[in-house]
Amino acid sequence: MVTAADLNEATHTNQWCPGCGDFGILLAIKNAIVTLGYNPKDVVVASGIGCSGKLPHYIKTYGFEGLHGRALPAASGIKLANNDLHVIAVGGDGDGYGIGMGHFVHSLRRNIDMTYLVHNNQVYGLTTGQTSPTSVKGYSSKSTPHGVIEEPINPIALAMNAGGTFVARSFSGDLKHLTEMLVQADKHRGFAFIDCLQPCITFNKINTYQYFQKRCYKLGEDYDPTNFNSAMEKAWEWERTGDKIPIGVIYKKEHSTYEDELPSLKEKPLVKHDISNVNIDSIIKEYL
Amino acid sequence: MEQIVNSLRIKFSGSAGTGVAVLGSSFAKCLQRHGLKVYSTNDYPSLIKGGHNTVFLRAEATDFFSHYDYNEIDVLITLNKEGALFHEKELTPGGAIVYDGDKIKFNEGELTRKDIKLVSVPLSAIATKNGGIIMLNTVALGAGMGLLGMDLDPLYKIIDHVFSKKGDAVIAQNKTCAKEGYDAVASFGDFKVKIQAIPVEERMLINGNDGACVGAIRSGVKLIAEYPMSPSSSILHFMAAHEREYKLVVKHTEDEIAAMNFIVGAGATGVRALTATSGGGFSLMVEALGLAGISETPCVVINAQRCGPSTGLPTYTEQADLRFALHASQGEFPRIVLAPGDLNDCFEVMGKAFNFAERVQTPCVVLIDKFLAETAYTIKPFDQKKIIVNRGKFYSDEDMAGRTDYKRHEFTEDGVSPRAIYGQPNGLHVASSYEHDETGWTSEDAEMRIKQIEKRANKMKNISEEELAPQVYGNENPDVTIVCWGSTKLIAREALFHLQEKGLKVKIINYWAFSPFPVETTKKLLSGKEPKIIFEGNSEGQLRYYIREKTGLLIENAYLRFDGRPFTVPEIVSETMKVVKK
Repeated sequence: MVTAADLNEATHTNQWCPGCGDFGILLAIKNAIVTLGYNPKDVVVASGIGCSGKLPHYIKTYGFEGLHGRALPAASGIKLANNDLHVIAVGGDGDGYGIGMGHFVHSLRRNIDMTYLVHNNQVYGLTTGQTSPTSVKGYSSKSTPHGVIEEPINPIALAMNAGGTFVARSFSGDLKHLTEMLVQADKHRGFAFIDCLQPCITFNKINTYQYFQKRCYKLGEDYDPTNFNSAMEKAWEWERTGDKIPIGVIYKKEHSTYEDELPSLKEKPLVKHDISNVNIDSIIKEYL
Repeated sequence: MEQIVNSLRIKFSGSAGTGVAVLGSSFAKCLQRHGLKVYSTNDYPSLIKGGHNTVFLRAEATDFFSHYDYNEIDVLITLNKEGALFHEKELTPGGAIVYDGDKIKFNEGELTRKDIKLVSVPLSAIATKNGGIIMLNTVALGAGMGLLGMDLDPLYKIIDHVFSKKGDAVIAQNKTCAKEGYDAVASFGDFKVKIQAIPVEERMLINGNDGACVGAIRSGVKLIAEYPMSPSSSILHFMAAHEREYKLVVKHTEDEIAAMNFIVGAGATGVRALTATSGGGFSLMVEALGLAGISETPCVVINAQRCGPSTGLPTYTEQADLRFALHASQGEFPRIVLAPGDLNDCFEVMGKAFNFAERVQTPCVVLIDKFLAETAYTIKPFDQKKIIVNRGKFYSDEDMAGRTDYKRHEFTEDGVSPRAIYGQPNGLHVASSYEHDETGWTSEDAEMRIKQIEKRANKMKNISEEELAPQVYGNENPDVTIVCWGSTKLIAREALFHLQEKGLKVKIINYWAFSPFPVETTKKLLSGKEPKIIFEGNSEGQLRYYIREKTGLLIENAYLRFDGRPFTVPEIVSETMKVVKK
């Protein structure tokens, strides 16, 4: 039986700032893998670049640290190449909602069976604190000294509108909740998206632990995440109220996965196909 | 008039979207079914409807290499007036223009040639009478075949096949159209070229893109991710059409960046993965090309070159991405760069591409040019044995049993670290875009950086000079040597015969491997005192100066073509003659 300690990557030093919200995410991912009972060899954690991008190095599973904004297409290639693997992609709000936005939208409608968690700290951390696509309007930073002019994107509403089949929000300061969201995300058949609020203690002095602790509340058991219209109300509650942030599974629906529709994967994963001597006689006949 | 039997050059022309391409390919099939060897190339602008499209066919009784000269034809079948006006000058004496005289009227003096036949056929009237204007091309096919005295049976069989799902009525209508078109040209008398059926030898009629696809499938490609871009899109179409039969996953991604990252992810997971694009898309892929380089992930990218920069001439040919492929992406890492020159190369080079990529654990770029990508000709069926899969170094589950010391980027004598793949026991590691140590862990240590750069570069030595040797044709002690690469090989090989007929001894050196580059072989091949000339489809002489960079040897003559059109045989013959005479 795998324990969280088995997943500790002990030989290398963690480079996140002490107190960073990313630690909570890392621990929750480990806890979720333990809860799910997965063998670490069957798990691939894939990332882009940024503070979140370093996560695959801090966990003893297989990992892929790719390019800024490109965690999802690489993770999708991994999953389609071996759909027996459990793939968890992680990104940041700059990485995933900025440069990688195109892949985010298409991954939602594609519905490949994997989990995508975005470390949303509303700021660019690794590049020293510029404004991000989720920074609040007026946010002052090195790249926006007079305050950001644009409105922030709403990842939850966006994900729902793009065809997301599992759309959740959690908070890295609530380990139990985040672990539970990750477990549910993994069990969901299809692309499971978690927007994880995560304080950047170094650069974001607005969206702090205290800020979120004061505002976040868990959706109750009476909440129905399968009702699109009421879910959309919830998706906009933070923006509308300013001080109420619902966390939990905001919307989900049953839908066939991308892999379900691929006969080539029915028998076994691509990586297990025998390619030593592929016979091309039938193609040659097409051209005679 | 002397009749020419079984040697034909014919062009089809019309507005884009009127079915000229299908007309050409159906006619090619009919010629093939008469036992002839066929060569087909097209010329079209980047439009869906409107501009001027042509298909050029050459057919001979025996195998041959190229179009000879696509501006020299015996027959023009044109669906529009512009075609007649534009291509009249290309007709050989006694040649014919087949057109619909009801629809196309020539004013006095518009056509100037007195030595050609004007064969007016009521294409529209016949089609309309027998079921609809949509069958106009079938009438044109019949008329062309009638002019050349061909047998209609092969066309009937094609009609049976193509319209099998549309029902007997449509099949019958099309056959009537073909027959009436055929009969309508009888009154014009004998034509100078006659096609007579000869025994059919087993040949494929296939183009470069499809040939490369067949090679990739034989090589065991499993995941293909691509975003459409001329002239590479037919690779996506081919793969999608064969997805189920060959148990592939074919993904039309949201963009080329996604496509490239898909295949790097799949490559890292242990499957053979491919993307295809043209220069613009390749530009978007280069960051991930470097990711494959530093993470030591095998994958294959086909760049079907068209005229750049930027949108350039989207549907015209060029060989100007060689330097780009050699240097694409920031920093330094080993990459394989190959370029097929003919259809067999397209098939076989894909086998080498996947094998080299896995043996060296690095990305491979295959440069096809538009002319080769979309030119079809008849060849003997591909020899499966020419592609033997070699997957390089992998650890089996048995190798990995009980291990606690696996390092993905372990330093080894030849630089290649045996792979454990995702899902395998005891092989946990991170494939990373960062510089790393042997485990894959990020490292910014100066000494480690040097070691990793050298390790990766060292891997290229696993491919020997012999494996990369250029293809050499022609005479041993030549009067002149021709150097070329890509589709120019086809035209040069045909020019060889014409030059030899003039009493010259000629050697052709065709390059297909550029990285790693066969340096010592090149020095030997270019050591002779005879004049040498290089033909390239770019304006800078990219291979010419690359050879100089690698060997110090400058090929003293270059003839470069960068107008988007392929070379012709007469052009290569005359430019080579000039060099000899110097």
